[in-house]
Amino acid sequence: MGRVSPERVLDRFELPSVAGNERQAMERVAASIGGLGLPARRLERLKTAVAEATMNAIEHGNRGRADLPVRIEVGALSGAVIVRITDHGDGRKIPEATTPDLEAKLAGLQTPRGWGLFLIKNMVDEMRVTGDERHHTMELVMRLQGGTDGGDD
Amino acid sequence: MAETTERASVRRLDGASVIDMPAHIDISSETALSGAYSEAAGKEALLLNFTGTEFINSSGIALIVGIMARARKEGRVIAAYGLSPHYREIFEITRLADFIGLYPDEQAAVAGRT
Repeated sequence: MGRVSPERVLDRFELPSVAGNERQAMERVAASIGGLGLPARRLERLKTAVAEATMNAIEHGNRGRADLPVRIEVGALSGAVIVRITDHGDGRKIPEATTPDLEAKLAGLQTPRGWGLFLIKNMVDEMRVTGDERHHTMELVMRLQGGTDGGDD
Repeated sequence: MAETTERASVRRLDGASVIDMPAHIDISSETALSGAYSEAAGKEALLLNFTGTEFINSSGIALIVGIMARARKEGRVIAAYGLSPHYREIFEITRLADFIGLYPDEQAAVAGRT
């Protein structure tokens, strides 16, 4: 039986909690995994998930305080990319990702917002949230090859 | 290569109103999209052109849902075209595709509106 290879850190950086920095986060993560051979469609999904998780960290975890950084770590295991996005959330639990009620939103019965966690969950293979009284970390796992992704490039 | 812009512009085409969507659709697009919808007021079909769009986040999805809700309230036909394969997939995952016609390009969207 082969040994499981240890995780290799590809990049580690921080960004101020300023709206719009989520695009910088997703582009830097994409650049850091450029050599791993993630198919184009899966890369686009991961980029969307990273942008959403970073925006969530900026808006909710760090409450838009520019002096509180969002910390991002990108790692590679055999066959997968792992991105961890950490904010300074104060122990408030990140809610479960639920499916938005689009009919209610279109009928004006609900706010049109509320897509972030749903998008993240549906873009990556695994989404895990951990935390303590001072931090939240959202961990996104994307396998390099998806067994059921017929649309992959 | 399609021209990209942060603005949303409105034009008339064969009895339809076309909103050329911004390159990045996020919370900063709210004023531009609200203004574009008002400028496109009327009863004719509304076509959303995503040809120049490179990025849509969850706030952008919410703005698109808001446009769809306004169109539905006014009884307007609404369709979209020019989405990249990735954002077309997102329209399917979010089920927006169940409530808005999706077309590959402008010609197909104009021909397909009913």
